[in-house]
Amino acid sequence: MNELLNKLSNCIEFGKINKAAPFPPQMKGEDGADEITRQALDEGVNAQDVLTEGLMPGMERVGVKFRENKVFVPQVLMSAKAMSTAMVHLKPYFDSGAAKQKGTFIIGTVLGDLHDIGKNLVAMMVEGNGYKVIDLGTDVDTEKYLNALNENPGAVVGLSALLTTTMANMERITKEIKAAAPNTLVAVGGAPVNEEFSKKIGADNYSSDPQAIVEFLNTKTA
Amino acid sequence: MNGLKLLEKAFRLEEVERIPWVPFVGVHGGNLIGVDAEAFLRSSKHIVDGIDKAIELYKPDGIPVAFDLQIEAEILGCKLAWSKENPPAVISHPLNEGAELSSLKLPTENDGRIPVVLEATRELRKKHPELALYGLITGPFTLALHLLGTDIFMKLFEDPDYVNELMEFCAQVGTKHAELLLDAGCDVIAVVDPMTSQIDPMSFETFVSPFVTKIFDFVRSKKKYSSFFVCGHAQQNIEVMCDCKPDNISIDENIPLDFVKETALAKGISFGGNMKLTSVLLLGNEMDSKKEAVNCLDLGGKKGFILAPGCDLPMDTPVANLQAVTELVYDDYAQQVTREMEHSSSLQPLSLDGHFEEGKVVVDIITLDSASCAPCQYMVEAVKQASIDFGDKVIVNEHKIKDVEGIQMMMALGVQNVPTTCINGKVEFISQIPRKTEIEKAIKKAMN
Repeated sequence: MNELLNKLSNCIEFGKINKAAPFPPQMKGEDGADEITRQALDEGVNAQDVLTEGLMPGMERVGVKFRENKVFVPQVLMSAKAMSTAMVHLKPYFDSGAAKQKGTFIIGTVLGDLHDIGKNLVAMMVEGNGYKVIDLGTDVDTEKYLNALNENPGAVVGLSALLTTTMANMERITKEIKAAAPNTLVAVGGAPVNEEFSKKIGADNYSSDPQAIVEFLNTKTA
Repeated sequence: MNGLKLLEKAFRLEEVERIPWVPFVGVHGGNLIGVDAEAFLRSSKHIVDGIDKAIELYKPDGIPVAFDLQIEAEILGCKLAWSKENPPAVISHPLNEGAELSSLKLPTENDGRIPVVLEATRELRKKHPELALYGLITGPFTLALHLLGTDIFMKLFEDPDYVNELMEFCAQVGTKHAELLLDAGCDVIAVVDPMTSQIDPMSFETFVSPFVTKIFDFVRSKKKYSSFFVCGHAQQNIEVMCDCKPDNISIDENIPLDFVKETALAKGISFGGNMKLTSVLLLGNEMDSKKEAVNCLDLGGKKGFILAPGCDLPMDTPVANLQAVTELVYDDYAQQVTREMEHSSSLQPLSLDGHFEEGKVVVDIITLDSASCAPCQYMVEAVKQASIDFGDKVIVNEHKIKDVEGIQMMMALGVQNVPTTCINGKVEFISQIPRKTEIEKAIKKAMN
């Protein structure tokens, strides 16, 4: 494999954003995701390969470490930040169709709930794993999800909730999305939610951590 | 023994005769008096009335005055979104929107909703001198996150000096708030820092421990007790939390209670928790709640354990579920019955075909076991005494729920408590031992 892409994977895994970034200490002074992505593209590496062989393996490794309690939110956010820095260089290739993302994921915290930390983490991890993410923010009702679905047919919808009181809205929104767009896959997550609840309300997936939703998406789009 | 003394024993890891019980009543207190969450948290009168009602219903050993982690944030410039059913949510982060850390001032007793909580504390102190009042403060990491937003996670690596400065300020805010609450009459300061569940032990030791330890030291210097509340998947941090030297740590259902027990007791620190909030207390029934409570009591044990829900109770938590927990806390027999009932979900009620006889009165007594349960023994004796004069017209059966068949009979007769006496299939006497004349009267009535 291309040595540069290998290095890029390491930058993503360890959250090395650019040369100036002090973190992680063991990579101090070295090029980061920003410089290496630019360099790879300048040297003629295919944009699709930069994504699937450079960025995504790094994000996947950090996702697995997160699931295994080896790293926590701060480290994952550093990886996501390194990832988004690299994505800036790839954007023109996505826009022109020269590189393709794996699919589209629409996410939002459900109506009545303003908590966004968990939702943001999931959005970053999913994006880092090669998906286009439409983040609808917090306090989102059915109509907004459906509008986003209209613009992105075939997208998977993710509903997040932190409050026990908004679980009822999660149920209603899931049912309304399923009624309006029966083939849409709906995934749910958040502190009060569990597998049993997910099944009860007719959702297609419950994920207890961001890596799990990535794996679910991979099974549906691969 | 009064609640405060009992809790003090638990904090000191002394063996207790009964495990103390601290229901985390927050906006649920509003529900008890028919006001919404916003009205409740904005009024000292409502808080006093709601907590008073909770004390009457749940007979706690200790209770929080106000479970609201937005008080300090609001004073320091965070915007809040109020809700009718939940505590407010922080929706803006001033340090991420141009405000300078150096421009933020420590709160005083006159700022924001602090006077509301202090007034409620003083009033509750007067009314309940023997109950432990918990004063809650926002943990420094959670407050820092309110002020700076999720950027704080990246700043841990990108600008550690700034995070240190911010954490120092947040710890000073916490210490000041703790001082005001203690002066108003709180016995226990709970440092509630749920966001620490998102970081690893090394980040915790670097950025949280030095600051939160100062708050616990301060509380100790005032000769009061402290508890460190965390919720979520924080198992990785239990040990480093203990190293901050609170008197207690309290956790939710995401962390196994036996793990916390082992870790905390090894460090000489008491622990509490972790009844399931949503799946059991909010959405379950009374028996589910009892089973959950007895599981916690059995795991926690009588040394250093405080029974509590994992976090503040949802507004609509059924009163009956919490009263079921209360009953269990005070009644050893109820605990034993619940343990026996543990297996009942897989059982079917016994068929009552042929159980009753024409012309005879059938008295069924559901007991734990009259040989080992004193109230059961007295009830069985009382019923037998009262039946003697009726000869073979009255058949008396004891059903011990230590046997599977006993539990199935209990289910068939719709009995909820032990001991209970049924006459011709109808529940007549629950728990209390009736006088002989009352039993005779009930039997005669059944004969006619």
